[in-house]
Amino acid sequence: MSTQATTHLQSVTVQTQHKPFPITTILTIIVLCFGAVLMVAPFMWIIQAAFGETTEVFKLPPRWLPVNPSLENFEDVFNQVPYHLFLGNSLKLAVIVTIGQLITCSMAAFAFARLQFPGRNLLFMLLISALMIPGQVTIVPLFILVRQLGLYNTHAALILPALVNPFGVFLLRQYFVTLPTELEDAARVDGANVFTIYFRIILPLSGPVLTTLAILTFVGMWNQYFFPLIMINSPDLQVITVGLTLLRGQYGVGALGPIAAALTMAIVPVMIVFVFLQKYIIRSIVSTGLKT
Amino acid sequence: MSNKVMTYKAMKRREMLTAYAFILPTLIGFLIFIVGPMLASFAISLFDWNLLTAPKYIGLANYQQLFADQRIGTVYATTFRLAFIIICCNMSLGLGLAVLLDRKMPTLLRNVFKVTYFFPYVVSGVAIAIIWTFLYNRDLGPLNYYLGFLGIDRIPWLNSSTYSPWAIVIADVWKNVGFYVLVFLGGMQAISRELYEAAEVDGASSWHQFRHITLPLLSPTILFLSITSVIGALQIFEQPQILTNGGPGDATRTIVLYIYEHGFRFFDMGYASTIAISLFIIILTLTAIQFRLSRRWVFYQ
Repeated sequence: MSTQATTHLQSVTVQTQHKPFPITTILTIIVLCFGAVLMVAPFMWIIQAAFGETTEVFKLPPRWLPVNPSLENFEDVFNQVPYHLFLGNSLKLAVIVTIGQLITCSMAAFAFARLQFPGRNLLFMLLISALMIPGQVTIVPLFILVRQLGLYNTHAALILPALVNPFGVFLLRQYFVTLPTELEDAARVDGANVFTIYFRIILPLSGPVLTTLAILTFVGMWNQYFFPLIMINSPDLQVITVGLTLLRGQYGVGALGPIAAALTMAIVPVMIVFVFLQKYIIRSIVSTGLKT
Repeated sequence: MSNKVMTYKAMKRREMLTAYAFILPTLIGFLIFIVGPMLASFAISLFDWNLLTAPKYIGLANYQQLFADQRIGTVYATTFRLAFIIICCNMSLGLGLAVLLDRKMPTLLRNVFKVTYFFPYVVSGVAIAIIWTFLYNRDLGPLNYYLGFLGIDRIPWLNSSTYSPWAIVIADVWKNVGFYVLVFLGGMQAISRELYEAAEVDGASSWHQFRHITLPLLSPTILFLSITSVIGALQIFEQPQILTNGGPGDATRTIVLYIYEHGFRFFDMGYASTIAISLFIIILTLTAIQFRLSRRWVFYQ
């Protein structure tokens, strides 16, 4: 449709016909390039500082590439805090909760979308109304509950509450109701039970929406800060976000090098995954409007 | 074999039980971790409880404290001001950049811009805030260094009650604007090009096309973004906690920081719950108002 518009435009304004890039396009691109530099520069500055020598950083004018690349700062990080544990804990929690949510949300969504049972609509409405409750509002009772259950300072305190995701149920349910019923009916005639329909028909047809939920959950868990800050006490159990603040606490504000190294280790894996999966990640987050 | 040939009724009954089994994990978790804490927060707000001694029932004393609290007025004012500026900046900058990205340009270039602007959004707020504490360094930070070329004196970004709110706004917008850009761009690309062609034929300027085609047809997108960003911005926590820890004084203390302080530093569970409930009521009210007002300005295609 845009080519139609373009040809139409060119037939009206004859002068632009010879120039593939009018001046406004070039100006637009220059402005956008300037913005893009502002977005990239802080990351580049941090990464160069990570590879600099501990004593050599925080120099003016700011450097954009390391002069004598060294791994000194990275060693320093591991001497100060168990950073490999932070990374491992974050990864473990994100993987467990992502898999767990795919199971719990898809089961509930399947029941709400495809099965008949008394109280179905009422329960669904109740679940959806929970979307109105901001997570940080219930943090005090949740903290007390976790303590009472003996889960304070355990990973279970971060995993169990995260396995309920009303938004995830909603997202999957909206997709499941749009799937055609023919396959399901045929399977029922062949004597398939409900679980077979869920596992062999509905799930295989729902790849895109399951990917969306997986990405949202994984990114959310990887970046979470408020919950681990409150629920976890031992450094060995801590996640990467709180770990970064612990490291900063050890060094104070002046030490750019080691903290830059820690930031680099936190950000570069995300960057690599993002480059490969950007199409899916952008689609998932933008289509659902998730606030991480 | 009567158990093999099930009656219709028995089948329905079985399906019903299976359905309950399917929702059971979510239902149990929902009751324990969402409904329970929500109800409990009202109950806890009626107690004086520091977790060490037994909770003491004090009626509405926490609510009286809420209305008498001098600091909470400042904290709410700061939260609203920060939220308002952050939302305005994200919305206008996001819309502006989306308009630019919607122009004719090579697709590869557009995708590179999209990815670049969006990337900080998927990085944790903690990492972003720590990066900005270095960028904001008064004497050695790159930001003041480059501002120096514009003749701007070194700004004490994080230690001044004038500049520290702006430090939080800038860091937040830098992190989140890409999200707004892509949501707006998605909305714009859903608008039929034929409308613009028709306007072109009628001789409408590009401003008129933006004002009378793009904006009205984007209004559902704007409503969606404004509702989600009000909810998000009123709960802002990571950036102020890491950049300024609420300071200097209470200059950047947001309401969630205040809840955190009372709940997990002073261990005043009752009062922390009371503040949380006040935030909950404010968020619900603002969301309801936005939906109500939206009838006047949101235009569905």
